[in-house]
Amino acid sequence: MILAQPCAGQAAPRAAGELAWTIGYDPKTFDPAKVDDQESELVRYLTAGVLLRFNRSTQKIEPKLAESWNLSSDGRTLTFQLRSGLQFSDGSALTSRDAAWSIRRVLLPATGAPVAQEFLSPGGVTVETPDDQTVVVRLPQRVIGIGKVFDEIAIEPAGHPSEGRITAGPFVVADYRRSQYVRLRRNAHYQERDAAGTALPYAAGVRLDILDNPEQEARLFQRGEYDIINGLPPDYFELLKRRLPSSVRDLGPSLNTEQMWFNQASSSPLPAWEKTWFQNRDFRVAVSQAIHRADLARIAYEGHATPAYSFISPANRAWYDSGISAPHEDVAAAEAKLASVGFHLRGSILEDASGRAVRFSILTNAGNAARLKMATLIQQDLAALGMQVTVVALDFPALIERLMHTQDYQACLLGLENVDPDPNAMINIWLSSSPNHQWSPSEKTPATPWEAEIDRAMNQQAGTSNEAQRKLAVDRVQQIVADQQPFIYLVYPNALYAVSPRLRGAQPTVLEPGLVWNIERLRLQEAR
Amino acid sequence: MTFAHLARWLLTGLVLFAFVVLLVSRNSYSNQDRESPLAGASVLHPAGTDALGRDRLVRAAFALLLSTGGAVTASAVTTAAAAGVGTLAAFGPASVGWLAMLVCDVFLALPWLFLLMMVRSALPLTTSPANSAAITFLVLAALGWPACARAVYRGALGLRKAEWALQARAGGLRSGQTFRYALPNLLSLLLPQFLISIPAFVIAEANLGALGLGIGEPLPSWGGMLLELDNSALLVQTRWVYLPVALLILMLLLLEALVAEV
Amino acid sequence: MKLVGDLLKRFTRMLAIVLLVVIGSTVLVRFAPGYFSDVREMDPRYARSARAELSVESARSNAIIPLLSAEVGGWLRGNAGISRQYDVPVLDLILPRLAVTGSLMLRSIALAWTLALCASLLSSAGPHPSLLWQMPATLLLAIPTAAMATMCLLAGSGGPVLVMSLLLAARDFKFLDRILRKTWLDPHLLYARTQGIGVTRLIRAHILPSIASQLSALATLSIVTALGALAPVEVIFNVPGVGQLAWSAALNRDLPVLLTVTMLMALAVTFAGVISDRPAEWKNA
Repeated sequence: MILAQPCAGQAAPRAAGELAWTIGYDPKTFDPAKVDDQESELVRYLTAGVLLRFNRSTQKIEPKLAESWNLSSDGRTLTFQLRSGLQFSDGSALTSRDAAWSIRRVLLPATGAPVAQEFLSPGGVTVETPDDQTVVVRLPQRVIGIGKVFDEIAIEPAGHPSEGRITAGPFVVADYRRSQYVRLRRNAHYQERDAAGTALPYAAGVRLDILDNPEQEARLFQRGEYDIINGLPPDYFELLKRRLPSSVRDLGPSLNTEQMWFNQASSSPLPAWEKTWFQNRDFRVAVSQAIHRADLARIAYEGHATPAYSFISPANRAWYDSGISAPHEDVAAAEAKLASVGFHLRGSILEDASGRAVRFSILTNAGNAARLKMATLIQQDLAALGMQVTVVALDFPALIERLMHTQDYQACLLGLENVDPDPNAMINIWLSSSPNHQWSPSEKTPATPWEAEIDRAMNQQAGTSNEAQRKLAVDRVQQIVADQQPFIYLVYPNALYAVSPRLRGAQPTVLEPGLVWNIERLRLQEAR
Repeated sequence: MTFAHLARWLLTGLVLFAFVVLLVSRNSYSNQDRESPLAGASVLHPAGTDALGRDRLVRAAFALLLSTGGAVTASAVTTAAAAGVGTLAAFGPASVGWLAMLVCDVFLALPWLFLLMMVRSALPLTTSPANSAAITFLVLAALGWPACARAVYRGALGLRKAEWALQARAGGLRSGQTFRYALPNLLSLLLPQFLISIPAFVIAEANLGALGLGIGEPLPSWGGMLLELDNSALLVQTRWVYLPVALLILMLLLLEALVAEV
Repeated sequence: MKLVGDLLKRFTRMLAIVLLVVIGSTVLVRFAPGYFSDVREMDPRYARSARAELSVESARSNAIIPLLSAEVGGWLRGNAGISRQYDVPVLDLILPRLAVTGSLMLRSIALAWTLALCASLLSSAGPHPSLLWQMPATLLLAIPTAAMATMCLLAGSGGPVLVMSLLLAARDFKFLDRILRKTWLDPHLLYARTQGIGVTRLIRAHILPSIASQLSALATLSIVTALGALAPVEVIFNVPGVGQLAWSAALNRDLPVLLTVTMLMALAVTFAGVISDRPAEWKNA
């Protein structure tokens, strides 16, 4: 009896027509206004009715609950015309009053909605409802990509926030068992239909199992318990490719980057000579030149990654710039560069001008096999220059404490997830005053002329709606980053998915939420 | 020629073989043959290569020496500590026993994970892999004794009340002296504890890698190689991932045979 | 009267242990690196709300004494405080999980002891070292829990109870085999065997009683080992038990949950001590 029991307590029996896949941890909230983590954001994407939706495949804004929308030429007035006959999942009517209430709720400081900051000055935004179908939003200043902000604002019944239980989106939250699963039920009153007039969504429901174990996930996927694997680790990609060749998809480079950087913060507790190394452009460029990125992609990702030299991936067609000149692999040039700034070899050990051995550690987070492999490969690559590198994996809280609070680290290898193709979304990483300016957080004034120039270019692109000018400014930032190597970009991991052969309608994209962006049109083929 | 003799020779042979492999092989434990990761057996790599193209045989041999040294020492220290605390508590005054067991119980319930994190944050990040390994085994030894000490205390208390001990005390032997005769009787608790702790420490060392402790790259960690077994994606690629666990079992069985007659 | 005094003594001891454990774990968790950091700080989208939550936490737990009294106050109010990661009362989190973990523990310990006793009775009667029995036990000790779980997944059968009981059985077997082997060689047993007394009767009437006190010593060890294995087994098999909760609480530095879990640990450990103390006292009486 004990021997025969199933492998684990999870994988609750599947309801008819239900799609199932996993999420890594419990969503912190189901209140769509308060979403501040990735899994909550997924639940919001699947349940929320929004005025506009950013189409993850075409990368264009589409009207959703709004029939049409319009942005005034000064970029400060948005007018939404709602569709007629809209209903919430409980059958009650959805009018402009509900839309205005939901937008105002997001803007209220008391709500603490993370989306509010995307309005830049949420306090000055006004929302009006001239009639039942029209919503007018006035902004105190132009906001780049304002349309996309409405992709994140769920329209809820006025005065009755329901934590996803009553929505105007394709699904509603039906059941939640902490650390087991979230169950979503089809919204019978959802207004969208397919070309043949069939009501969407096709699926009767969605079950999101909370499971952070790729081994089990791959296993249960093979058994047909899960229909989808989002963000498949490369080794399991290869495993599934052997077992179910038709189920795996490699979409090529994702928008995400893996990078390494040196701690350049002048307030860090590092000894002065180490700061001097890390703040030296030639030192960073030499390190960058010594790293064999092709090996990283081939070995650490089993070929499912693409060498990276900039923060904008080739998957980001609108913003990618192939004209950037970045330092490529060239160990001889790296050695010459180090020699030119006083580094020299004593035996096999590199020393700086004052005779101190170049020894530092690379931090990374525990539990990410690919990163640990990359760090070990880099350790070997840098040993060729005579640098002694130790690799230390820490659990996330301890790692973040060093990166964000004590700044007690020398170098770090981590990834950055980009959800939005527009580089303006990364502005907080590039502005030198930002706490997320990782290599030297929260600078009072830019520490170097090139950081000041990045600030200028980023602010410039944020202040204009002229797309050509914005592109020029972002290209400029890319070139400065390539010249200075504050972030040493390593690879763009490929977007890897597994799709059950029974699943119909899948059109994977590299943008989050990957495979399920068109959730309304996904369905399981009936078993024969 | 008894089993124990045979086991002794085989164990020595195993260790010698590991040394010979390290001396003879043209590969070093850290050298990455990047053209052939996860390769099968070849002339150059008799046991294939790992995920980064490093020679598996050399790494296994090195890890065998390194991790065995660490784990056996740690295991011996922790078993000795358990024996010391347990018997002292049982043969000493009742209040000492009470206090020692109180400490044991508190020790067993505390979340030591966080102490390990503190140890890591107190060490400089550039601590060399070898030092980090030594510190890890030291910490494991320091944290491993209370459960066993409790069992030893229980067993020793039984002995103390056994007839021969009562007789000995009646005959004028001080409790410190009885303790010396009691120890052999506790071997049936201590020896298995010693043997069990070895693989437990080997694996624990690898698990501590997640906290930044343990044997750092590029030094080979035996536990780290054992943990590869949980990745079924790796298991289908090469059979040589089973080599470390096979060696560990062999070594444990030989140790078992070696101490069988004690 | 003696009974009441004894109970009172035990109760004081338990209270002292719980108190020490609470203080000790508060200090450990609070001063471990990463108490005031959150992985979302790295993500510009979520950084602001993560920082807001952290500043609340830092106001709450900056000084250790008020923090301790707040935590103890949580228990006095009857909800054991509010979980930092889930923002719900700790008791609501733990109570539904206790049954799951309790049943997992009981079933695996029972199965492990049955397995270990049977195996060691058979093995100790044979020649030494009996490879037939030592080999599987050693194998189980040398394979990491996660690898065992993977094997279960690959085989498509076996669950947390199986893995946990095998884990425990292998350990218990190593002790029992040795203890029994010694017992078989006891003079009175040798004598009894020469008299032709049946093996089952020997085991029942001589062996089991004579090793009872050693078995009770083993019980503590076994329960403590089971407690230690709980978190990894539950995490790997995704069992919604206390061990899984404790693991995620450790990763999220969720002090209220961790305190309650360590308190439960302390109770379980003292309870294990009580079990192993009992038979010895009966014997003395």
